[in-house]
Amino acid sequence: MAGMEFGIFTVGDVTEDPTTGITPTEHERIKATVAIARKAEEVGLDVFSTGEHHNPPFHPSSPTTLLAHIGALTERIKLSTSTTLITTNDPVKIAEDYSNLQHLVDGRMDLMLGRGNTAPVYPWFGYDGRKAVELTVEHYHLLRKLWDEEVVNWSGEFRSPLQGFTLAPRPLDGVAPFVWHGSIRTPEVAELAAFYGDGYFANNIFWPKEHYIRLINFYRQRYAHYGHGDPHQAIVGLGGQFYLARNSQDAVKEFRPYFDNAPVYGHGPSLEDFTEQTPLTVGSPQEFVEKTLTFADYFGDYQRQLFLVDHAGLPLKTVLNQLDLLGEVLPTLRAEFAARRPADVPDTPDHASRVAAKMVADAKAAEDTSTEEVHA
Amino acid sequence: MTKVVALTSGLSEPSSSTMLGEQVLAAVRAQIPDAETEIHSLRAYAHDVTDAMLTGFPNGNLRPVVDAVTGADALVVVTPIFKASYPGLFKSFLDGLEPDALTGKPVLLAATGGTARHSLAIDFALRPLFAYLQALVVPTGIFASPHDWGSEGKGALTSRIDRAVGELASILGGGGSGRGPSDDFDLFSDTFLAASRPPQ
Repeated sequence: MAGMEFGIFTVGDVTEDPTTGITPTEHERIKATVAIARKAEEVGLDVFSTGEHHNPPFHPSSPTTLLAHIGALTERIKLSTSTTLITTNDPVKIAEDYSNLQHLVDGRMDLMLGRGNTAPVYPWFGYDGRKAVELTVEHYHLLRKLWDEEVVNWSGEFRSPLQGFTLAPRPLDGVAPFVWHGSIRTPEVAELAAFYGDGYFANNIFWPKEHYIRLINFYRQRYAHYGHGDPHQAIVGLGGQFYLARNSQDAVKEFRPYFDNAPVYGHGPSLEDFTEQTPLTVGSPQEFVEKTLTFADYFGDYQRQLFLVDHAGLPLKTVLNQLDLLGEVLPTLRAEFAARRPADVPDTPDHASRVAAKMVADAKAAEDTSTEEVHA
Repeated sequence: MTKVVALTSGLSEPSSSTMLGEQVLAAVRAQIPDAETEIHSLRAYAHDVTDAMLTGFPNGNLRPVVDAVTGADALVVVTPIFKASYPGLFKSFLDGLEPDALTGKPVLLAATGGTARHSLAIDFALRPLFAYLQALVVPTGIFASPHDWGSEGKGALTSRIDRAVGELASILGGGGSGRGPSDDFDLFSDTFLAASRPPQ
């Protein structure tokens, strides 16, 4: 898919529907998530991604199991995470799990790393939450080595050393999955993303845009600093959320009980205040398109837009209906974003483009080697 | 220009905390010739402060108050004492600030209460809080109980105000604590440098 990618990301919360008092079982919610992912493909979306959590009320503790299953039931949609916990997972296990997933879905995946937000998860997995940034940095450097180098010798602070370790399976076609880094607070993560030329994702859900603009601009500058391209060519992803109905009044009426009781921002600001202050749109498809298009004015042309649609206890039927409405405006969104986008803004790297880039790099390396031999 | 901002958290209207804040600011203007003063009462932002607790960000109403407090050269804090301490509204506002927002900031502590028996609340409740925030707190705290509003002479409210403001002026005229909030990313911190140093 050339141009901007549109998709959905799920947090995977099992939440009571405040209008009925019904809480789905974990089993129902997991099956609903699969149905939502299949629907996302059906309405023409490009990406489905799942969060990772290790505590109730969230179900997705094993993202690659979920994604591999969805991968078997879909044909086209790219599978991703939002986020894979780089802090509390062993980087060796991340490398193994996502290499396996990459093979199973023929490269139709990438992943987003994040540090998570639940303090007790650190001790549960044997880590110290005060070291979250240090863990992120060390674990990611190791993950890159595991994917990019055949035989790994490594030692660090947080994990037992590796001598002569080779990841199995090796990444598909010798090319690691593309990596995003999700962060809402930590400039070190933007720096890490910039250093490796990876993508940077700002979830853009809770805080006003000014906060994210600062981080994204910083990432773009550092991306250029490390020689991956110009700042406007850095790979940026954004979150967003909406609730749509044919007309605004219905959208507000239908969504208000979910908003008012939402686990994250419920019982706080009014729906009207929150839609004004944050990227949330509750309104007609036209209002949604207009607001979404402003994101590029604030953050620059970007590569991936993910929406949160299945949260706060919204029942499956409603979520599927929301996806239908999103699918209807998708062509408009694609056309409008494409119209404003300079030709030299790249797409999100996918497996094919990364294989092609590797072939170019390998050919150049071979050429350099043979030149050296001639001159030797 | 020296910007001195008073933050008051009196809940009644009119509020003796706001009145005390105005008096302190008058003394500030008298003793610090280039002082520009403003006063913000949290009562008007009670709902916004609660929203910020739940969403994690100050909304458009509250943002100017946050900016005024964090951007001030010095802060005058005036709170009523309820149940032996400051009201929750006052603490909630401070809880919403960035962790280093008041680091090194010269702060004058003042409080009002129904009787003089609350006067040590400045020292056992407010002072530890601002120590945690690493603010630079002047030694004299100003406590006003109802009878203070009729006091005069040595030891009267006005003389305590003058003494505390004199201490604030002295700090503002000196080098302060040499510390402040960091307003930019520290590219040379260990974790930052580590981000671009993969293991060999």
